[in-house]
Formats: sequence, structure tokens, C-alpha cells
Amino acid sequence: MDSTIKDFEAAIAELEGIVKKLEEGDLALEKSLELYERGVQLSRFCHTRLEEAEKRIEILNDRGELRPAGAMFSKDDGK
Amino acid sequence: MSSLFDLPFEEPEPAPADAPVARERQRTVLTVSELTSRIRDILENAYADVWVEAEVSNCRLWNTGHLYFTLKDPGAQLKAVMFKSAVRSLRFKPEDGLHVVVRGRLSVYEPKGEYQLVCEHMEPHGLGALQLAFDQLKRRLQAEGLFDTARKRPLPALPRKIGIVTSLDGAAIRDMIKVLGRRYPNAHLVIRPSRVQGEGAAADVARGLTAIVKVPGIDVVIVGRGGGSIEDLWAFNEEVVARAIVASPVPVISAVGHEVDFTIADFAADVRAPTPSAAAEIVVVRKEDFCSHIERLGERLAGAARGSIARLESRVHQLNRRPGFAGWSARLAMRGRHCAETTHALRHAAYAVVNRRRRAYQSLKAQLDQYDLQRRLGTIRTRLVRGENALRAAATYGHHRAEARLHTCAARLDSLSPLAVLGRGYAVVWNESRTRVIRKATETKPGDTLRVTLSDGELKCDVTEN
Repeated sequence: MDSTIKDFEAAIAELEGIVKKLEEGDLALEKSLELYERGVQLSRFCHTRLEEAEKRIEILNDRGELRPAGAMFSKDDGK
Repeated sequence: MSSLFDLPFEEPEPAPADAPVARERQRTVLTVSELTSRIRDILENAYADVWVEAEVSNCRLWNTGHLYFTLKDPGAQLKAVMFKSAVRSLRFKPEDGLHVVVRGRLSVYEPKGEYQLVCEHMEPHGLGALQLAFDQLKRRLQAEGLFDTARKRPLPALPRKIGIVTSLDGAAIRDMIKVLGRRYPNAHLVIRPSRVQGEGAAADVARGLTAIVKVPGIDVVIVGRGGGSIEDLWAFNEEVVARAIVASPVPVISAVGHEVDFTIADFAADVRAPTPSAAAEIVVVRKEDFCSHIERLGERLAGAARGSIARLESRVHQLNRRPGFAGWSARLAMRGRHCAETTHALRHAAYAVVNRRRRAYQSLKAQLDQYDLQRRLGTIRTRLVRGENALRAAATYGHHRAEARLHTCAARLDSLSPLAVLGRGYAVVWNESRTRVIRKATETKPGDTLRVTLSDGELKCDVTEN
């Protein structure tokens, strides 16, 4: 993922800032195109982040090991 | 004991004057020890198990672990002690001014003639011991700044992994998983099972917190359990849990009990949720909300970009309409027409050149097509043979001419040779060294030696006279 985007929070915050700046207007053409491009990049990043995690439940045991929770909770999923 | 003397003195009726005599008859004299021993028997038997309500004062915890204090009310004081083993089972800290109910036995310390209450149990009067312990710990941690608002960290907008420290039994964990699954289907959960009530639960929860924050990617932790009595929830009122929450490098959401119960953990946590389900709702915004928020931002972004360009466009139009610019624009149009015309002319010229060239090319090509190569080669060969003959003839002629010229030259050379002149009787006179020809008699004097070359040889002569 793009190295210039720190994390989801930062991406959303920057995107909101860009939209605000663009909406206020009064920018040079190059600058507004540059901001627009960055904005598109950020919103793609956010979408990807929202989808990228896969549903998983793990148990951290006393030895510090992570084990899938398995069937323990899957029964409740559909409810 | 001064208060004793302040009381109104109610002396019984004075004894009759003969009384000492009567008592003298039946008198039994005891030693102090005997008396004290009897008092001790009476007191310790009569008050082997007694409940006393009083205010605590002069409270001192000794190094030995025993607690010494005084129980008092407005009318009396009672020395009291609580031994180490009993002190350890106290949930709260006894302190001066505390209104308590204690249970114990009276004990007489004979060497000093004192009696005291040996307390086995103590509880705050009015509110429960746990409540008091809660208040005391809360006050202490608050003074330390552990509950300061400035310490509270914001939750991540979109957690990568959500840590949960709670019991695997019970509704709490199932409620949380259900709510998280609904709000954010692809959430990644890491659960650290922990005892949440009973002996050792607090230490277990604290250990769980310390362990789970070390799992890479965890950026928020929920710690909690379902509702219950104050005793059930007690683990979350212990200092060790509060300290583990404060020590966590990532934000912690406390989720203990139902609505009204506040725990020490709630105060220490970055965010307090009234129930585990509420914690699950707090930890992630609904995924759809996120998506639609980003969607909206994307639309606004595109709209703003379009607007930005439209604004610039309209500015260009406005500038176009300015009078100064209008003249300029007419000039520009004129230049444009001129330019177009020139281009047109140029194109025509170019076509003309190309056409001319094309015609020349075509005629050359036609010529070339008619050319009979065979015949041409024959001509060339004939010319070559002719040339060869001419060359040979020229060479022969040259040779003869050279011979004739040689002969002529030889004859002329002969006639010019000095030797030929000598043959006709002339002589050449040299100086003695033969370096110079003597042309005049005056060049010599008597006694000089001269050399004379004749046609067949040379003479050496002396000048005797000139």
C-alpha cells in the first residue's frame, strides 16, 4: 500500500481536509488536480482497508500462543 | 480518663458508721495478681465474643503487621488490637475517624492491668466494607492522576485487531462477538480468556491485559464481564487491574456489569462502556457508516474538483470579456487568419514542388525503361578495343621519336665536346693544381708551373717568360 499514507485515521482525516480545501476553492488548477488525485488515492486506500481484514477469532493462551477459536463461537455467527 | 471525673458523681447512700467493723469480720485480702486474674477470668468469659460499634482513633499499623487502635464514642474509650492474620483479610484500610463495627473478645493484659478488645473482624458502619475499599482505592488512584481526562486516549477509527480479555463462559463474550459480527463482519478478534470473579481473578485479568497488548496489530482492548453483585465484579475494583489498564500502550475499553455499576477499571479505562455489547458497539463504527462516509467524501471530492475547474473556467471567460483583452483577442484573430493563409500558400508551394519532381522522375523512369542494355554494352566493347589499338600505336610512335631525338642530341653533344676541339689542335692550360683554367698570359709569371691538356694527354710546363 502507498507508503505516504500512515493509517486509516490519517487517510480519512487527510481526505476530509482535501475535500474541504477543494470546496473552499480558490486554488490553482495544478493544485486542485493534484489534490484531487491524492483524494482519489486516499479514498481507494480507505476502501481497501475496510475490506482487507478477514473475519477471524483467535484465542491467546497462557503460553502466549495464538490459536483459532474454531467452532467455539461460530455457532453464534448467524444469529 | 478525665471524662470519668466530669460525670456527675452519684455516691450511693453513705454506709453506717459500724460498717467497717462488720466487714472486718468477713474480710479476704487478695494480691493484685489474684484480683487481676479474677477480673480477667470474669471479663474474658463474659466477653469472649462481642460486637462493638465505635469510631476508630490512634490507628497505627506496626511493622509486625498488627494493628493497634482505640475504639471510642463520646463517653468512653477502649483499647483494641487486630492481629496480622485478621488485618490481611480486610478489603479496606482502617483509618482514624472511621465509624466501624468490630467483633472480638475482651482480653486482660495483667502486667499492666489493662484490658483491650482483640478484634477478629471489622466492617465499616453503614456502608459495606467493599464500598469503603472502593472509595478508598478510588480516592488514592485519583490523587495519583490515574483517572485524569488528559490520560484518556482516542480509540482507533478502524481497529486492525481487537483484543478482548474476559471469560469464555458467560454471555459477555458471545454478546460481543454477535455485535461485532453484525457491525463489522470482517473484524479480527483476539480473545484472552481470563477468570473474572473469585480468588485470583484480578491478577488473572491484569496478566491477560499485559499479555494481549503484546500481540502485534492489536490497537484496542476490551476488558470486562457481564453484570453481577458488587462481590462478583470485585476483580475490576482491584488496584492491579487498574494499573494494568493504565500501563497498556493501546486504548482500553472497560465493559463491566450493567449500566449503573461503576468500577475502578471504568475510571482507569480510556473509554467506559456500560455493558460488553455496548463496548462492541463503541469499538467499531458500523462498517456501512464508514463506507457511506468514504463514499460521500469521494463524491464531494469529485464535485469539488469539478467546481474548482468550473470556477477557473468562468474566470477565463470573464477575463475574455474585458475590453483590454477583447482588442488583443481581435489582434490574435487577425494573426490567426494570416497564419492560416500562409499555411495554405505554403502547402500549395510544397505541392507544386512535389509535382514537378514527380514528373521529372516519371520521365526519367520512362527513358530508363526504353534503354537497351545489350546494345549499349556492345558499343562500349568496340570503343574499348579501338582505344587499345590507338594506345598501342601511340606508344610505338613515341618510341621511334625518342630514338631520333637521341641521335641528334648525341651529334650535337659531340660537336660541343672540348675533346673534339683539342683534336683540332687546341689546348687547355690549367694552373698547377688543375683547379683553374688559365685564360690570359698575365695570369702567370715566370717560374709558375702549368698543366696543359692536349687531345691525347697532358703536359707539365714551366713558364720561363711572359
